Amino acid sequence: MFEVSEITEKTKSESLTMESIPISKQSEATAGKIKLDGPASASQPETPITPERAIIQSRDFSFFYGSKMGVEKINMDIEIGSVTAIIGPSGCGKSTFLRSINRMNDLIPQTRAEGVLSVGGQDIYDKSTNLVNLRQQVGMVFQRPNPFAKSIYDNITYGPKLQGIRSKAKLDEIVERCLKAGAIWDEVKDDLQKSALALSGGQQQRLCIARTLATMPKVILMDEPCSALDPLATARIEDLIAELKGTYTIVIVTHNMQQAARVSDRTAFFCLGKLVEYGMTDKLFTNPREQATEDYITGRFG
Amino acid sequence: MRIQIRQTWNHLFTVFSSMSVVLMVAALLLFLVPMLGKGMSAVFFRGTVEFRKMQHDLYGLGSESTLQKEIAATQAARDDIYAIFDRFSRGIDTDLLAGEAKRLYRDHGDELRYQNVPKDEYTALRKQAKGIRNHLMDAFESVDKAEIFEHLDAVEAFKSDASLKGTSVEKLIAMAADYRNIAETVDFSKRADYAEELDAVEEELFRLFGPRPGVERALAMESYGATRWDVVQKHLHQLVWQESWVLSEDGQQMVQKQVRRDDPKEGSFAGTQLAPMFALVEETVSETLRPRRTFYWRYFVQDSTPGHYFGGVGPEILGTLLLTVLAMCFAVPLGVISAAYLVEYAGENWVIKIIRVCINTLAGVPSIVYGLFGLAFFVEYVTAKQKCITSASMTLALLVLPVIIRASEEAIRAVPRTYREAAMGLGAGKFRTFATVTLPAAGPGILTGIILSLSRAAGETAPILFAGAVALGPIPDFAGKWWFQPTRALSYGCHDITVGDKLAMMVPHNQYGMVMTLILLVLCLNIVAIVIRSRMSKKLRGY
Ligand SMILES: Nc1ncnc2c1ncn2[C@@H]1O[C@H](COP(=O)(O)OP(=O)(O)O)[C@@H](O)[C@H]1O
Ligand SMILES: [Mg+2]
Repeated sequence: MFEVSEITEKTKSESLTMESIPISKQSEATAGKIKLDGPASASQPETPITPERAIIQSRDFSFFYGSKMGVEKINMDIEIGSVTAIIGPSGCGKSTFLRSINRMNDLIPQTRAEGVLSVGGQDIYDKSTNLVNLRQQVGMVFQRPNPFAKSIYDNITYGPKLQGIRSKAKLDEIVERCLKAGAIWDEVKDDLQKSALALSGGQQQRLCIARTLATMPKVILMDEPCSALDPLATARIEDLIAELKGTYTIVIVTHNMQQAARVSDRTAFFCLGKLVEYGMTDKLFTNPREQATEDYITGRFG
Repeated sequence: MRIQIRQTWNHLFTVFSSMSVVLMVAALLLFLVPMLGKGMSAVFFRGTVEFRKMQHDLYGLGSESTLQKEIAATQAARDDIYAIFDRFSRGIDTDLLAGEAKRLYRDHGDELRYQNVPKDEYTALRKQAKGIRNHLMDAFESVDKAEIFEHLDAVEAFKSDASLKGTSVEKLIAMAADYRNIAETVDFSKRADYAEELDAVEEELFRLFGPRPGVERALAMESYGATRWDVVQKHLHQLVWQESWVLSEDGQQMVQKQVRRDDPKEGSFAGTQLAPMFALVEETVSETLRPRRTFYWRYFVQDSTPGHYFGGVGPEILGTLLLTVLAMCFAVPLGVISAAYLVEYAGENWVIKIIRVCINTLAGVPSIVYGLFGLAFFVEYVTAKQKCITSASMTLALLVLPVIIRASEEAIRAVPRTYREAAMGLGAGKFRTFATVTLPAAGPGILTGIILSLSRAAGETAPILFAGAVALGPIPDFAGKWWFQPTRALSYGCHDITVGDKLAMMVPHNQYGMVMTLILLVLCLNIVAIVIRSRMSKKLRGY
């Protein structure tokens, strides 16, 4: 018990560095393999991300549903500790790319990935990748709140229990910390044994975020986390994202451009399965480089 | 215009669908209510003293002293009836009288030998006794009154003979006096008819009051009279009324005609000494049988006598529960695991397609085929040629397996993908995700399948017919290897009591009672499962 808690403490303190729980056993050996100094594409941001700061690196990454292309040749680095927004018209592959980062698309049969997508320096589509470790390090929040049909307490402890944490005191501590970090503690602290499904939609979504935090991820992927919520709940989630920024690397897909502008440091614009433009958010929204981007953000498109 | 047509269609549809619902409910009620109503008479009825006697003798219930008092009181009332009956039957059943005369004659010989009477005297006395006896026998045999009285006179001539005092011959002479009384009232030309009718009356008296005191019968069903008021009514009617087929008019159909046996004109015992007995039985029936409102809840726990003549359906309920629960123990894990494999692990190749087709086909196989398979496989190879609970419940499990697989498959498939994604996103493996998230969420749907199969397993007869059900047999011995013993079951019992057992025909209330018990048991099992399911879905919904 003591050892486990020590590891978790360590993970917490090191959550901003790249080497921690290895995604695969060979992480040390393969870490250097990926060439970061590839040909700079048009989609590279103006403020370059140094290889040490890039937690997610995508090199000519393509993803296929059977013969149908989901995303094609994505080259994109995501900076550690930042918030990156992905925008674009429906069906352009935003979700596909996001879900590729923790291999959630593996659930769909007959899918295929090409190119390199690495997290923390480890190619996650390599055979040696341990999916459990990957998903614990890259958490995900979905479009519709999807808490388990269990109590609030059990929802939060689901991930830690998978990691082998059994101590009641430790679990209690995690629950309180994560619920506080998820900005929902005050609302639920009186009855942690209440069913999570009895919460409102916004509360459920914050609970899902808190649940994700409980596995000590380094990256949190959010796929339109506010699209099922009312404006007030949306505002609270946005505040939460701002709070989590720095401690966690956040990638958020959104349809709401104001939201992207409010919460993100960098924004990527996807169109028809391709990365069209990627850059600092204020730059992209005020002075886009590509015509398509401008059309989209000014509402003349899709 | 088009809107109007559409509205008409809507109305028509509403009317038809509500009509079909009403029809279904009505059919269900028409079927269930009479069944349950008649079945209830196995539990709620007016039990007579014979019922209490039976419960005391066979199951050790009731207080000995109150029962004895009750029996004594009813016996006193019955004695009056039997007195009339006996007196009359002596005049009719002359074989009996002849037998008695012969026995007395033999006794007389023994008496003489015992007293060491000298030989010549012995011969003379025996000759005299033989003469008396022969006169008596002739009188019994004859149907001509003049001749009878002639013979009786000849016997009674010895009445004043003092030397015969205290011997068996004196009893012979007394018999003659007795018979004279009878002969004066009975129409001897009808003696054969009387004898036949008397047998019927005696039978009905036996059905009402059971064997006469002191007579021991080997079978339980012959040891007691009418235990229930409805049975009393039936036999009372048969006792008092005689049925005959007569021509309604010349050349017309035969019609059934009912006449009281003591009817002064047409009754078979009109004007005889027996005639007053019928009214007496009717008047005193509540005194001789003492009906009392009875709630026989022990029907559901008591064992029965062969043929379900007396007693309850306890062992049948126990057997059905054992079979059903065991069958579920076999079928549910297997079915859920199969369904999980089909949904979560199996791809979409032709092997899986064939398996699906097989499951669907199995669901439609007639249950008797399962029964034969159970005999040919489970009994033959699995349980070492023993027809037993295990083989029967395995056969039942096989029968419900397709239903459970199909229902579980649907339920697991219906769990939203986001549930699975949530668990996997937290790092749970495939099995973990299934066990901790998908399975609980699919629980209510799986339970629906289990409910359907529970009723089916509890109610099916054919699969257990050859594999372990018996109509008669001991209760499984829980101290020993009960799983290797055959058992009784409600479904098989219903079948047997309806077509197999002649005795059961005489106790229709028990026939219906068994069916009612089966319906109630299935209902109870379903209610339990539905309560569990609603608890589960409530937990899943969260409020
Ligand atoms: N499970 C799937 N099977 C086949 N095609 C899919 C599947 N999911 C998404 N796609 C296709 O991939 C493309 C990208 O989809 P997605 O990433 O969901 O777009 P969005 O940007 O709206 O999130 C779309 O054309 C969509 O039709
Ligand atoms: Mg999407």
